Order: sequence, then C-alpha cells, then structure tokens
Amino acid sequence: MNNVMNNVVSTPDMSALVIDDEPQIQRLLSTVLEANHYRVTTASSGHEGLSTIAKQRHDLIILDLGLPDITGLAVLKQIREWTQAPVVILTVQDSEPDKIEALDAGADDYVTKPFSSGELLARLRAAVRRSDRGKAEEPSLHFGNITVNLAARLVTRDNQAVKLTSTEYALLRLFVQHAGKVLTHRQVLREVWGPEHEQKTQYLRVYVQRLRDKLEPNPDAPVFFLTESGIGYRFSAS
Amino acid sequence: MANADTQRHWFRFRTLQDEPLAASTSGAKPPTILPHQSNSRGSSIFFSMPLTDNHRIKAFLAPPPRQYWAAIGVVLFVSLFGYPLQRWVNYQTLALVYLLAEVLLALVVGRGATLLAAVLSAAIWDYYFVPPSNSFHINDIYDGTMVITYCVVALVAGELTARLRTYQETELRTKLLSESEKLGRTLLNSVSHEFRTPISAIVGAAGNLRVQGELSPAQERLIAEIESAGARLNRIVQSLLSAARIQGGQLQPRLDWCEVRDVINASLRESAELLKGHPVETKIAAGPQLARMDFFLMQQALSNLIANAAIHTPPQTPIEISARTEGKELLLQVADRGPGLPAQELEHVFDVFHRLPNSKPGGVGLGLAIVKGFVEVQGGRVSAANGTNGGALFNIRMPAADSPELPEETL
Repeated sequence: MNNVMNNVVSTPDMSALVIDDEPQIQRLLSTVLEANHYRVTTASSGHEGLSTIAKQRHDLIILDLGLPDITGLAVLKQIREWTQAPVVILTVQDSEPDKIEALDAGADDYVTKPFSSGELLARLRAAVRRSDRGKAEEPSLHFGNITVNLAARLVTRDNQAVKLTSTEYALLRLFVQHAGKVLTHRQVLREVWGPEHEQKTQYLRVYVQRLRDKLEPNPDAPVFFLTESGIGYRFSAS
Repeated sequence: MANADTQRHWFRFRTLQDEPLAASTSGAKPPTILPHQSNSRGSSIFFSMPLTDNHRIKAFLAPPPRQYWAAIGVVLFVSLFGYPLQRWVNYQTLALVYLLAEVLLALVVGRGATLLAAVLSAAIWDYYFVPPSNSFHINDIYDGTMVITYCVVALVAGELTARLRTYQETELRTKLLSESEKLGRTLLNSVSHEFRTPISAIVGAAGNLRVQGELSPAQERLIAEIESAGARLNRIVQSLLSAARIQGGQLQPRLDWCEVRDVINASLRESAELLKGHPVETKIAAGPQLARMDFFLMQQALSNLIANAAIHTPPQTPIEISARTEGKELLLQVADRGPGLPAQELEHVFDVFHRLPNSKPGGVGLGLAIVKGFVEVQGGRVSAANGTNGGALFNIRMPAADSPELPEETL
C-alpha cells in the first residue's frame, strides 16, 4: 500500500537541458534545477545544444536567446523541427521583438533576466504540465466564479448564463485551452480572426476588454485575462 | 574608425539649455548631430547623437561664399593663362580648357558656384577669344553654334558632376550613420548583457537560498537585502541603458493599439515593490481608452513616474493614476500628495541629471528624462505641474488617433 502511494506521489526525475553561454548562469541554473530534482545537462553554444538534443531526449529545454554562435531563435526553429519538448527561453528586457519571434516560433514561455528562482521554477512546472496534458481537452473549466463548458458552449458566472458573441466565445475558448501559456497578439488574431487580420491588435484590445467586463471580478484590475507587456496575453485560471 | 569619437562621447548628454543644434554644425567645435537629423528625430533633440566622424562629409565643402570666389578665381586663372596662348592655340581649343576647368570645379564646389563658373567662362570666352575680340559680337553661324554649345555643355557637365557628388555624399552619410548606429547597438547590447548576467546570478542565487528553506530570521533579512539591492541595481542599469538608447537615437517605437488599462496595470505590477506603503488609486474613464503607442516604452515611462512619486513622497501618502480622452488626446496623469514642485523647477524636472534641491537620495536624475524621451519618441508630450491637492502632477499626452475600425458584431 505504502509502496503504491509512493509511486503515485513521487515523479521520476525530469531531464532538463540548459543552453546558455554564461558559465555563471549555467552554474546557477544547474544548482536551482538539481535542488528541485531535475537531471541537468548543459550546453554552451547553439550547435552544442542541438547535438545534445539529437543524442538524448529531454523533458525540458531552457534556451538563452543570446548565444555566441547561432541565434537562440535559429536553435529554437531547429529544435521544433523534430521535438515538441517544452522550451522556455531566457531573455533580457528591451528585447520584446525577439521574445515575440521566439514565442511565434514555438517557445512555450519566456523568463526575463534577472529572474527569481521561484518564478523560473513555476514557469518550468507549468510548461511541463501543459505539454504532459497534451491535446486531451477537458470538457469544462472553472476559474473564480466562472464555468466554461466547452462541450455545451456555455459560460456561466455564479450559475447565471453569460451572453457572449461568437467572437468573444472563440477568444475565451482559445484562452482557456491555453491556460497559463503566453499567446502572442499574432497567435490570437490568427486563430480567432484569421491570418489576414493578424496585424489588427485593436480588435484584440477591444474584445479582451469586453471579456474582462463580462467575466472579471474587477475589469480594471484583471486577474484572469492578463496582459503580457507588448507581447500578448496570458490566461490564468488560478 | 568611428570608435574613438563615439566611445569618448557616449555618455555626453545635451540639455535644452545647450546651444542650438544648428550652431554646433558650423562652429569650430566638432558637430554633434548631422543637420538633417535635428528635425527628423525631433523627440530626441535633448539628447545629442554620439559623435561620428561626420567631419569627413563636411570636408567636401567649403562654406558657400568661398565656393563662389573659388569659381571666379578658376575662370580668371584660365582666362589669364589662355590670353597669351592665343597666338599658338585657337579659341576652339581654349573652350575645351574652360570645359575641363568647369568639370574639375564641379567636383569640389556646389551647384550654384558651378553655374556661376559656366556663365562667367562663356561670357569671357565669347568676349576676349571668339573673333572679333573684345566684343560680344559673333560673326558667323559657326561661332554662334560654338558659343551656344559651349554654354549647354558647361552647364550640363557642371550639373551632372554636382548630382553625382550629391549622390556620393548621401551614400557616405548613410553609410556613416548606419555604421555608427550598428556600433551603438552592438555596444549597448553587450553592455546590457555584461551587466545583467552577474545581476541575474546574484538575484537568482539569493532567491534560491530562500527556496532551499530553513533560514534564521537574520538570514532571511540579509537575503531580502541582497534581493532588493539587486533589484535596485537592475533598475539603475535599465535607466542608464534607456538613456543611452535615447541619446543614441536607437529607439524605434513599435506603435500599436494599446489599451491604457493594460499599460497602467503592467506598470503597477512592475512597481509593486516600490509602492509598498503607498495606497494607489486609479481612475480610468469608462469605455475603451485606446491609443497608438509602444506598450513597453509607455509602461517604462509610467513606471518611472510611479517610482518618482513613490520615492519622493512621505510614506502612506496616496498616489493617483488617471486616464481619459481629452479632445484629440489621451491624457495620462500621475498625481501624488508630496511636497509638490517649486514653480521655477517645473520647466527643468525633465532635464537629464537634473535633481531638485533637497531631494531624497535614490535615483541619479535620469528617470524623468527617460519619461520625456520615451513619450516624445512616440509622438506624445509630457508636462509637470502642481496638483489642486498639493503634490506634483505629471501629465503624459498622446495623440488619440481616430478610433480604430472594428468588425460589426451582434449578440
């Protein structure tokens, strides 16, 4: 009985690959990750990272965007050609275009330097959780006093049905299906309005505000539909 | 080649009180900005460009009056030289010598001086050399054709050479500019990287000590000190880099529709630590408050205003942030209940390194200058005043473009 319980509770160590050229950051990340039961491999350049990935499967990849040999973005694109392992990128402030490009190219999340260990670990756990969950969709989701029933296309707030337009619903569905993940403006616009509208951020601003007005406890200080500065949105169900 | 100058002057700031930009391009002092830039980058006027070796461009040209004298001089020289040669050289050949001088002249002087030389040489040639001498009279159709052809060829040669040179100058100017911008960007990026890596290590390692747990209260406090010092260092580095970007004209705002509520929330989240002990009140007018801005720059500008209010007012005093559309502008205000600003300082609070007398330690006098730089590069304006409740009141005004086109939809 005890044995069974232990098997359920403890997860096997996960393997993480850190691609960063700074020895100091490598050491820091290794220490933090190993203390949290990850098996860590490090690579100091893009090419080294790619060859490590080719040799060995990793549950998680942490990739610095500023590498000495090839850009982090190029590494990311190559990684995505053959693996869907979650990739969390490390960037610095002032590099919003790079972050957006990386997220559009399939990065799962980003952490801005200097980051706190707690923040990094939370992002990593969330990224792994999302990739484990895979495509299996849950029929309904609860956040705050809101229930979204995807099967019935029904949204309730305090058990009262909330009237949403079809666009508002499509946007909400996209958000809840990617709970916790950053979605770039482009990704959302493409998905909800179609590729020809992917520059029309104004649609997004107005519709996100409408969702907030209908679903947030205080629309001016949102807790569910969070803005990622200049990048996109992140839906947080917790 | 541009390195030495660029680096030496990298952190030299220009303030509004400095001499006007135009003056600095003609004086003995090396120019700090290319003339055509002073307007196109209107917003960054208060920071100067890093010095490039654009005197290389200037070396091409002497000031205009000297060019005209040079043109007259060359024509007179050819004439004086040609006069005694008349016996051996016919006047048609002399026209070719004039043409040669004209083309060479066009290589070094401007269009106006070239034109003057063409007209003057045609007149002198006709008067002294084309028979009959010492008169503008022309005997036959042969000489008439010669004079007209000379005039046209001289003008065209001068014009073509001048155009070619203008083109070359533009090329060189563009090349120098892009070289200097590239160098600036590379330098900034590597400085940014060099600073942030150790800060990341410090902040990350300190935080990790806490994650590992089992700390005494004293250890907890020390870790909190390391973390807050790290955060402060990071803010200073961020300020210096921002100032350098503004100064170097490296800012390229990515304007897109933004909801002001989002910008305010992001700034408040970013400033949460500094705002501890200051109640914050936000007042946002009903309905969408959209404007075309660069989200990140606007968030930084607002965060700086919030930090400014938090640092320079007594604890527990409220800070009020409001946003509304006023006429054709989106007005974003940050008001505090601190001591306010002395009337004579209102004009200068946005100047680089300007600090109020008796202001609290903390900050290097860049915060408000960055606010100004970031807002103006997006086409907005900043101003400071004293609020009706006492305390300082900072305004950001952004042009509110016509409301965006939205798809029609019903429930």
